[in-house]
Amino acid sequence: MSVWGAIAGGFAGTVVLTTALRAGNQLNLTRMDLPFLLGTAFTSDRTHAKALGYLLHFLVGLAFALIYYAIFLAIGRSGWWLGAVFGLAHGLFAGTALVNTLLPLIHPRMGTRSTAAPTVALLEPPGFLMLNYGPQTPLVSIAAHIAYGALVGGFTSLAR
Amino acid sequence: MDDRAVPGREPRARIPTQDPACAPERPVREGGYAPIRGYAAIGDGRTVALVARDGAIDWLCVPVLDSPSVFGALLDAERGGCFGLCPRVSFRVGRRYLPGTNVLETTFVTDGGVVRVVDVMTLGGPGLTPFRELVRRVEGVSGRVLLGWRVEPRFGYAGAATRVERRGGVVVATSGVGALAVQCWDTEAAVMDGGVIVGSVEVRAGESALVALGIAHQEPLVFSSREQVEGRIDATTRAWAGWSGACVYDGRWRDAVVRSALVLKLLVHAPSGAVAAAATTSLPEEIGGERNWDYRYCWVRDSAFTMGVLLGLGCAAEARAYFWWLMHASQLTHPRLRVLYSLSGGAHTPERVLRLHGYRASRPVRVGNAAGGQLQLDTYGELLQTAWLYAAGGNRLDRDIARQIAGMADLVCRIWRRPDAGIWEVRSRPEHFTQSKMMCWVALDRACDLAERRLIPAGGARRWRQEAELIRDFVETRCFSAAKQSYIRHAGSEELDASLLLGVLLGYGDPAAERWAGTIDAVRRELQDGLFVRRYTGEDGLGGSEGAFLTCSFWLAEALAVSGRVDEAVALMDRLVGLANDVGLYAEEIDPATGAFLGNFPQGLSHLALISAALAIADATAP
Repeated sequence: MSVWGAIAGGFAGTVVLTTALRAGNQLNLTRMDLPFLLGTAFTSDRTHAKALGYLLHFLVGLAFALIYYAIFLAIGRSGWWLGAVFGLAHGLFAGTALVNTLLPLIHPRMGTRSTAAPTVALLEPPGFLMLNYGPQTPLVSIAAHIAYGALVGGFTSLAR
Repeated sequence: MDDRAVPGREPRARIPTQDPACAPERPVREGGYAPIRGYAAIGDGRTVALVARDGAIDWLCVPVLDSPSVFGALLDAERGGCFGLCPRVSFRVGRRYLPGTNVLETTFVTDGGVVRVVDVMTLGGPGLTPFRELVRRVEGVSGRVLLGWRVEPRFGYAGAATRVERRGGVVVATSGVGALAVQCWDTEAAVMDGGVIVGSVEVRAGESALVALGIAHQEPLVFSSREQVEGRIDATTRAWAGWSGACVYDGRWRDAVVRSALVLKLLVHAPSGAVAAAATTSLPEEIGGERNWDYRYCWVRDSAFTMGVLLGLGCAAEARAYFWWLMHASQLTHPRLRVLYSLSGGAHTPERVLRLHGYRASRPVRVGNAAGGQLQLDTYGELLQTAWLYAAGGNRLDRDIARQIAGMADLVCRIWRRPDAGIWEVRSRPEHFTQSKMMCWVALDRACDLAERRLIPAGGARRWRQEAELIRDFVETRCFSAAKQSYIRHAGSEELDASLLLGVLLGYGDPAAERWAGTIDAVRRELQDGLFVRRYTGEDGLGGSEGAFLTCSFWLAEALAVSGRVDEAVALMDRLVGLANDVGLYAEEIDPATGAFLGNFPQGLSHLALISAALAIADATAP
């Protein structure tokens, strides 16, 4: 196991995750756009938000890869399949707590279930499993996170 | 003085005011149902409650507007559930909203004294607040008045089992993940009577009492102190007044316009920016009839009016949120548009029938809306017009949205030749509706303009221009009647349709053109009856009849204004503004014979059309 492998896996995994979500977007499977959601936390300019969001998403992807690596170290094992299991847990966590519950609380432009008049949110809240962004969203998101986890786990175990 | 009063759903008062539809000799309720005209709306940007003149809250859905009802007596007086609060003796009623707010004040006058009830859905605030909160403050004005109150919660459109019990001194009703706590101060203690919570309060001049419903959904109930609740009432009142005070319209009908803006704000879903068409489902277009639809969704059809009105009133934040939401919601079906979307942006709105009695036996009671899957070509024109207005308001269209808009223009080029269900969502066979074709022309014209200004990709602009010309040829040759000197409802017909007026309002052709003058005259001649304008003549695939569509009357006033007939427009508006109920609200339709309101309530499109007409007249009369 190597931390550089985890970082490389995190980079590759984030590329795949982002691409998968974007593809789901273009195929009309989901309205989920993670870079956009992250970027609009800092600016309401949509174009700048997306650029900033991609950068943040990669940083977050690398940070999660390091968390995966720490857990791999703690249990003394890593690998594609274990990474995929981590990715599944990660995807569920993202849909139920991270994006659904925590992001609206810190995102200045996203509505929550408590947003009331006269305030108007610029971004609708994702809802449980991000279902507000389309019924296929959980499937796309979880599949993308599994791919991310597999890549982080695989790269970590390959690097010596 | 009136009937003996019992809180809840029983008939109990006659209306002694100027309200023409509720003359003193008529009972307030028929079979337990109050006139639609007799309701006022309060809300918090997430849901809306309807309060009858006799103090009963007969409609409330939680946690959001398109959720199932907890008070649904509006649709089933026997089983639906309500929150009644009124004097125990006979009374007369006067009502108003506190100035510039959505806080309702009902004054009950009895032989023994006068008492005010302030109804408010609080907007939250600092500290731990209930998920949703409905508060009723009773204020003694003079003498001494005994009031009774009765909370009858019926979750899940009265279909879910509800348990009522006392927890730590507070009466709580629970059903699944929903719960409701009844807290009261300076009243007699709440008593449980089966599934009903009842109590009474006697107030003298200068005294006050509170009954507050704290509502929870998927979380624990929050209990508040009286000071906290009072503080939230004051904060809510200030928040509404602050918001409405920023409306920039200062013309002849300011009160009506501000009230309409406040109604629209009630229909704005604050968490997303979506705007619901109305606060209710299945209020009938004909008493006892089958034309009962769920309007708790956001119609793309209304988008251009919504954007125009929000920008015209200076509500830039709402305009922006609405546009972002609209483009985000339609992304899932891009480049095609659904007719309507749910408030959370969902494209799937399946229709089902509830086993409820229906407003005055008007069945079926529907939730969901099957019109969502129809082809309505006009929606593309309205959405492109919305984008055009948004850009004209100084807002940027980012690259993704610009591509989305261009993609819709390309789609219009491919599909405008198809027959569709039209703006009125007829359930008869599809036709080549003139208004739909006009809106397709508007879509391509706006796309060309945006492309010329380099706001959207210009790759398809040449084709858009060519197809726009073909559409114009189709409309001018096949959708105009030489005999009537008017555009007609659909190609090959001799019928009329008030939605044709949208052509002149949204910029199809020159408003001063003879064809438009002839069309406006034809609409007045064949569809107008006094103040009222019917939607259309001809088949729509549904049985029964309907009232006059209030929106069409306002469209007519606006059409008169934009075509230079301002005096006629002003005269018509003066009279239309007088058709509102005692607190300034409109339903979808009105019965020309009795003045009774019909259809869902309060209806956003009626209020949008009022504001739009007022703004157009102000423009036309500006120096």
